[in-house]
Amino acid sequence: MTVRTKRLDAGVAQAMSAVSAAAKKGLGDPALAELVVLRASQLNRCAFCLDMHLAVARELGVGERQLDMLSAWEEAGAVFDERERAALALTEAITVLTDRFVPDDVYDRAAAHFDGPRLAHLVGLIVAINNWNRVMVARRIPPGGYTP
Amino acid sequence: MTTTEESTATTVAYATEPTPRLDWAALAPDVFKAMVRLDAAAGRGLEPALRELVKIRASQINHCAFCLDMHSKDALAAGESVERIVQLSAWEESRHFYTERELAALELTDAVTVLTDGFVPDEVYERAARQFEEAELAQLIAAISVINAWNRFGVTCRRTPGHYQPGQFR
Repeated sequence: MTVRTKRLDAGVAQAMSAVSAAAKKGLGDPALAELVVLRASQLNRCAFCLDMHLAVARELGVGERQLDMLSAWEEAGAVFDERERAALALTEAITVLTDRFVPDDVYDRAAAHFDGPRLAHLVGLIVAINNWNRVMVARRIPPGGYTP
Repeated sequence: MTTTEESTATTVAYATEPTPRLDWAALAPDVFKAMVRLDAAAGRGLEPALRELVKIRASQINHCAFCLDMHSKDALAAGESVERIVQLSAWEESRHFYTERELAALELTDAVTVLTDGFVPDEVYERAARQFEEAELAQLIAAISVINAWNRFGVTCRRTPGHYQPGQFR
């Protein structure tokens, strides 16, 4: 597996980081942000992103149990609370967009747990990581390049 | 439409327009501003007509009604042909409407957009790499990713199509 291209316009990279940073800040829950980012990266199979955000999540103290169960969160019972589950369901709906629209029940569940500004930033965060996933997978950036 | 009178009526009874869910740009203005900057940076250096084709194609795959409204109107206003826009959802069977460079970009758009089905195949990437030099290709990947981002906002927040005027956000 070789890198296809490391090239990424500096203005693009900087603006992408700004989108992510603003979304994360507005959500105001760094641990939840990492769960969301990791779940999207699992669905999009972005090795670089998984490697990076597993490191970030562990640094933040996200539990190993949650990290282990993340890809089966729906079946993982009490490992995730209702707010986390609502965020993860929204993450999946927005990430797998080509199969269907974002269902009303998924959206409504998220809206019940997050107020307007937080919900808008949560959507922004899900969009932002999808953006990174695409840019990293398309260029085949390998895992391991990130050090906390 | 059960009677002749109704079928000849000048106003058609279309279904009700959906209600948008979330005014995300107002609720997350910091994210919106960064997205606008990203949009300006991504694809800089690529031909505007090619960028619009990529935007329309990704919006078709992601079913973003608002984005289709916006980008088909922008493309038409910029002089794009109706035929090339109409044929876009079947570009593989209407190759003679597009240049090899456009086709390579469309194929890459499909692969990068439908990411959850598989990785971006080598042959798709290589065809694009033959048509675009490295810096252009990086910009093309960025441009595809960014329209995917707008599509996600549009669909999630249920922004409604039909009201866009060409060049409205420029």
